[in-house]
Amino acid sequence: MINLVTEAKVIRLMMLEALVPDESHHIGCSLSIVEILTFLYFNHLNVYPHDPKNVRRDIFILSKGHGSLALYATLCRRGFFSKKLLMTYDKNGSKLPEHASSNVPGVELSTGSLGHGLSVGIGLSTAFKNDNKNNKVFVLLSDGELDEGSNWEAIMYAGYHHLDNLIAIVDKNDFQGYAATSKVLDLSPLCKKITPFQWNVYETDGHDFLILKKTFDQINKSKNGRPHFIIAQTIKGRGVPYFEGKFESHYKSVDKATKQKIIGYFKTTL
Amino acid sequence: MRNGVINEIHDYMKKNKQSYFLTGDLGYNLLEGIEKDFPDRFINVGVAEQNMIGIASGLALSGKKVFVYSIIPFLIMRDYEQIRNDICYHKLDITLLGIGSGISYGILSNTHFALEDVAILRPLPNMVIFSPSDEIEAVHGIRYFNNHRQPLYIRIGLRSEPIINKEPYDFLFSRGNILQKGEDIVIFVTGTLMEETINAAVLLKKEIGTESTIVNIHVLKPIDKDIIIKTSINKKLVVTVEEHGLIGGLGAIVSETLAQCGIRVKVLSIGIKDKLIKQTGTRVYLRKLLKLDYLGIYSQIWQALRK
Repeated sequence: MINLVTEAKVIRLMMLEALVPDESHHIGCSLSIVEILTFLYFNHLNVYPHDPKNVRRDIFILSKGHGSLALYATLCRRGFFSKKLLMTYDKNGSKLPEHASSNVPGVELSTGSLGHGLSVGIGLSTAFKNDNKNNKVFVLLSDGELDEGSNWEAIMYAGYHHLDNLIAIVDKNDFQGYAATSKVLDLSPLCKKITPFQWNVYETDGHDFLILKKTFDQINKSKNGRPHFIIAQTIKGRGVPYFEGKFESHYKSVDKATKQKIIGYFKTTL
Repeated sequence: MRNGVINEIHDYMKKNKQSYFLTGDLGYNLLEGIEKDFPDRFINVGVAEQNMIGIASGLALSGKKVFVYSIIPFLIMRDYEQIRNDICYHKLDITLLGIGSGISYGILSNTHFALEDVAILRPLPNMVIFSPSDEIEAVHGIRYFNNHRQPLYIRIGLRSEPIINKEPYDFLFSRGNILQKGEDIVIFVTGTLMEETINAAVLLKKEIGTESTIVNIHVLKPIDKDIIIKTSINKKLVVTVEEHGLIGGLGAIVSETLAQCGIRVKVLSIGIKDKLIKQTGTRVYLRKLLKLDYLGIYSQIWQALRK
């Protein structure tokens, strides 16, 4: 069996290597979703790296498109495209921009403006259900993203329409663009707000593979016809001490020397 | 026009089982036939347009052809970014059925008017804009576009627009349609002001002997540049007529085209001025007030010719 912990480390290393010195990246909010993506792409999703548009695939949408670096690195590691392509990330002439682009093999939807992914996911899961297909749809959102009213339109709709093939995951890293989510627009207790909309809600640790596995196993067993909402507690900048737990890692840039230092230190932990 | 459009789409949905119809809780007494015949493929999303466009996009990403129905401002303004990012950037097979072109909604007033729709949709990549003049053109256009796989906006009137075109009608994509030829001026017109424009041209000939060429521009994007240039050369005046604001609509399209091609001719844009309509009234009343009835169109052209 694939060692998910090792995969997550390799993905983080690739992300650090892809950073463009002195360029502002959404590094903190990319590092917070590495375990979720690693778990999905290496252990859970039905995907076809050499045939990305295979009709039997599950769909993953990164609604928090600013976390694209983690998605690109995961897709690259999973075999969707070469490391050479990944290393063009955010560079002039590249097709891998800072916000997720569907021009990249394996990326289903171009995102970057918040509050789009869940509704698109509903459209896909509706089509799968009506066509009696078993494909599932996973949408990863940020906690700050839930400020967008469009998400609440989608939350109302998916619960009412019993879209049990739809799984929303919230990367609850507790920070958004300007400050802590608790200071900007506190949504807690989020679980109690989502449940009455006829969703199954799971509170989980977004960095612990065993707990993530338990959560997804529970979803697989669920038979009450409700869509699934995972609140994954995460840590911004997770896995790299220079960024971990720091609000400023949301838009952090590093110079060339710091980048090499961070990578050097990170390699010692492999 | 609206009923003809819905009947045509209803027929199409019988043949194409991969088609869906979404509404944002509008279309009472109109869409029930589609709802009854295709309960799984008709979705009333509720009063939630951002979600509606997102759902349409997800359906289209999975290979469906999707029609989305609402009153124009709710259909394209509330959720403009979803249209831009989700539909246009991904070049999805979604037809936006916008009801209530211009001031069709009359006494419902400004919130329900569509005076900026062409201006805001024109810049979107991959978007096609179809602005039919009557039900015949709308229906033939839909038959054509049903074999077309990219974002489409149809600017639809309401119930009782006059029929101008005749069967059999040959719909040619992005090709302006010359209704009559005259050597003095050319009038480009789009949408449901066709009859008023034809009547204004009759009056121009009768009163001051001015002969008009009238060109129906039913596809505003991509625009038929050739016909604009060809019919504008050697004219005293180029006129555009539209039930849309003067900023960014047909008047702008024609002016840009002529300027880009170096055609030196004066353009008179007839449409709705850049200020809020404060009077309440029916479409007929408001057209008269805003000089968009045939007399108003006539008098504006007459004045421009005098200068």
